[in-house]
Amino acid sequence: MTRRFTFDGQEITCASTDVVAAALTAAGHRAFRQTDTEAKRGIFCGMGVCQDCLVTVDGQPNQRACMTPVREGMKVETQVARPPLTPPAPRSLTPKRLTPEVLVIGGGAGGLSAAIAARDAGAEVVLLDERKVPGGQYFKQSADTQKAPLDPQQSEGRELQRRAREAGVTLLSQTEVWGAFDGPEIMATSPEAVYAIAPDRLIVATGAYERPAMIPGWTLPGVMTVGAAQTLWRSYRTLPGKRVALFGNGPLVAQVAQELTAGGAEIVVLAEAAPAPATRPFAALDMARRDTGLTRKGFTMLARLRRYGVRVTHDALPHAIHAQNSALMVEYSARGRPAQVEADAVLLNYGFQPSNEILRLLGCDMTYDARFDHLRVTRSSTCETTVPGVYAVGDCCGLGGAPAAMVEGHIAGRAATGASSRPDDDSALRRHRGFQDALWRLYSARLPLPEEAAPETHICRCEEVTKAQLDAALTDDPTDIGALKRATRIGMGRCQGRYCAPAVAGIMARRQGLPLEDLSYFAPRVPIKPVDIAAITAAEALLDDPE
Amino acid sequence: MTDLLIIGGGITGQVAALVAAEAGARVTIVDAQRNAGSHANAGSLHVQMQSRFLRLNPHLADNLESSLPLYLAAVGEWEALDARLGGVELTREGGLMLAETPAQLEFLHEKAGREARKGLDVEILNRDALHALAPWLSEQIAGAELCRNEGKLNPLVANRKMRAALDALGVRHVHDRITGIEDGPHPVAHGARAYAADAILIAAAWGAGALAGRLGLNLSTPPEPLHMNITEAGEYRIHHLVQHAERPITLKQFRSGQVVIGGGWEARTATADRQAPGIRKTSLLGNVALAAQIAPGIGGLRVLRTWAGYNTPVDGKSTIGPASHGSRVFFALPGDAGYTLGPITGRTAVSLALGLTPPVDPAPYAPARWRA
Repeated sequence: MTRRFTFDGQEITCASTDVVAAALTAAGHRAFRQTDTEAKRGIFCGMGVCQDCLVTVDGQPNQRACMTPVREGMKVETQVARPPLTPPAPRSLTPKRLTPEVLVIGGGAGGLSAAIAARDAGAEVVLLDERKVPGGQYFKQSADTQKAPLDPQQSEGRELQRRAREAGVTLLSQTEVWGAFDGPEIMATSPEAVYAIAPDRLIVATGAYERPAMIPGWTLPGVMTVGAAQTLWRSYRTLPGKRVALFGNGPLVAQVAQELTAGGAEIVVLAEAAPAPATRPFAALDMARRDTGLTRKGFTMLARLRRYGVRVTHDALPHAIHAQNSALMVEYSARGRPAQVEADAVLLNYGFQPSNEILRLLGCDMTYDARFDHLRVTRSSTCETTVPGVYAVGDCCGLGGAPAAMVEGHIAGRAATGASSRPDDDSALRRHRGFQDALWRLYSARLPLPEEAAPETHICRCEEVTKAQLDAALTDDPTDIGALKRATRIGMGRCQGRYCAPAVAGIMARRQGLPLEDLSYFAPRVPIKPVDIAAITAAEALLDDPE
Repeated sequence: MTDLLIIGGGITGQVAALVAAEAGARVTIVDAQRNAGSHANAGSLHVQMQSRFLRLNPHLADNLESSLPLYLAAVGEWEALDARLGGVELTREGGLMLAETPAQLEFLHEKAGREARKGLDVEILNRDALHALAPWLSEQIAGAELCRNEGKLNPLVANRKMRAALDALGVRHVHDRITGIEDGPHPVAHGARAYAADAILIAAAWGAGALAGRLGLNLSTPPEPLHMNITEAGEYRIHHLVQHAERPITLKQFRSGQVVIGGGWEARTATADRQAPGIRKTSLLGNVALAAQIAPGIGGLRVLRTWAGYNTPVDGKSTIGPASHGSRVFFALPGDAGYTLGPITGRTAVSLALGLTPPVDPAPYAPARWRA
């Protein structure tokens, strides 16, 4: 099945299950919108958080190309910086109030596992997921559910999803959370409805988003996260470009290189920040001891890459990306020696940031984890946060990986329904956490601090605030990150500080000689993501009920 | 030892510091850095009587009405500040207070009459005149009061430039919370440290009440936590500061294209020192839905962020002047619409402290009315 639509008047044919970003990428388009300074932007995060791939669809601006399914005959246009104030077409969203025993937010490895466990223990369970097909970032399902899974990882995700449906979990897909209030009460929107959900127990399983490299040119169209490229390929069978350069740290980078190669891409460089594993035999052995299967999977993947002629360049970091004709030129260094490479797509991943917005809004205690440079939510052995009745599982709590997320989901799902935990869950969790620990010792790398970024580097993508502007504001000694935000507009844009906050919080803390903590980051605010005024108008009907 | 110690680093204290430093005084600003006042403000320049205040404080309507000349002077003071600071995106395109029903329009007629007698430049617009002026308004709006004195500015720009101007003049900034003041020929303010000065100016909005008791004043300054929303940018079309005769709303568009929506929806008072005031679901939904009814064109934009700040209405009238006759401790409290009135309040109060001629007659605003 195909669909036809136009982009700036040009006709595009694509698969009926595509999102706009995939169809445009397949048709060779990289730039989707223009910023206030007329810079061009395209798909970056591929998962609905960066807000950079906005297009105007049938006259309605501010639609994320990465999350918007194509419709026959739709008129997609490049989004201008300040679209006209045209009243949108009336949209009927049904206001719905739900009060399930257990609400799970996020349909990835942790969320699906939690929902199944809670349902199996007898609870009525509602699960919200933003995507049309759940599975999350790890299982990353094909948007075309008729397509055969690409590999065991996709099959496993499909199986988990099937089990959730069979167990009787109410699965609300394409449902995005934008509000979290004490209670807890969750506000969310789907294409047809707006929800106010007040569950007895809440399980947050919102995963993580990727940390890019803040270097000159990281905002150019064609530069995206490794995960965005993986989504284009795994969910939509679209390559991010023909010649692909990958820069990052950790096993995902090589995995995606291998997947894209298998899909027909030419990997022009696979640059890993960490030194070669052979230099760290103890960590490698420890990793193998804790999970032989996963370790073997990793080595098989690297062997496969070698067969394709792709070798990992270790000790390598990107320094700048330039647009050159219709391609991208990356300046990088490998073992201290400068190099450059031309590519059609440049993929970046330097770790992960937990999507902990809901947890922070609800007031869950957090502590700073220096190793992964992000916040970890404080949890009991049953994954309950410091807010009674609110549980958190998986990478939204701090990086832990999908296998641990699934066990945590199981533990939290049972605990949320009052069922006791199982000893084998606890031992499995210890094993997965031990594996993660060894894995990241193997991949540990000295990454540049944001302080070291070149003056022209955008620190805030959305508001286009450069490192030089940040430095100028820092000379006034702002008292806290809020004062810096007001002085520079850093963090005031559509992504709500998701990319700049970790960088700026670190810079401020190191300047002031203070430890990082929850308050080092921007204060959590509703909406969790930019929310349509139409959704708010529809949700107002839900106020007639007692708050 | 400093010539003038100013308690409160919001716009009121900052303008007082600017005036004093330009007159050659050594000035220190001590601030508790809650940042919920001027630093949370959305930049409306109010002149006409706000229906929010009249609705919430009907018993204080006379105070507000008698303050109208101060509001007029306040906008003039802001224009001077705009010039002094090299531009804070100030515009004076006027403010509209909307009516949907004949009764609301009648209320505006009566209000406009009272305001005209106080010197405001106001006019009642019928449906056709209004929609010609503001074609983005919903058809349900039947008329409005236009107040040509009103306007808006960008508080982020103003606050940043203000700080730079003070730094250039050598004004010292100290982070501390003042908990008590000893009056005398050389008054002393006590926080984590003690600060002696020739004169102390209290420009601490909701923090002023706690300092007033020991000065013999029965002044209460509870904060009014108010909810705000901001959208992503759209084409700049909404030039006026928009309010409603009966419903709680202010709506305006920054030159950046972002639409700011507020107007008196309540937020939660912060419970801990380092917390910001909290957001209520009812305010987010109610306030934004109301804005979209009034200006349907903003419906294509998304709400990016909400926040809350403190207004300090006191009794709807400024409190300006020495704590008592001959005291070296002075008050500079705007009394509602603190960001609009801050500069004129700060300049008037500091003029009294330094023996300069105040820009307005301070007599009506004397703290004497708070003597226990």
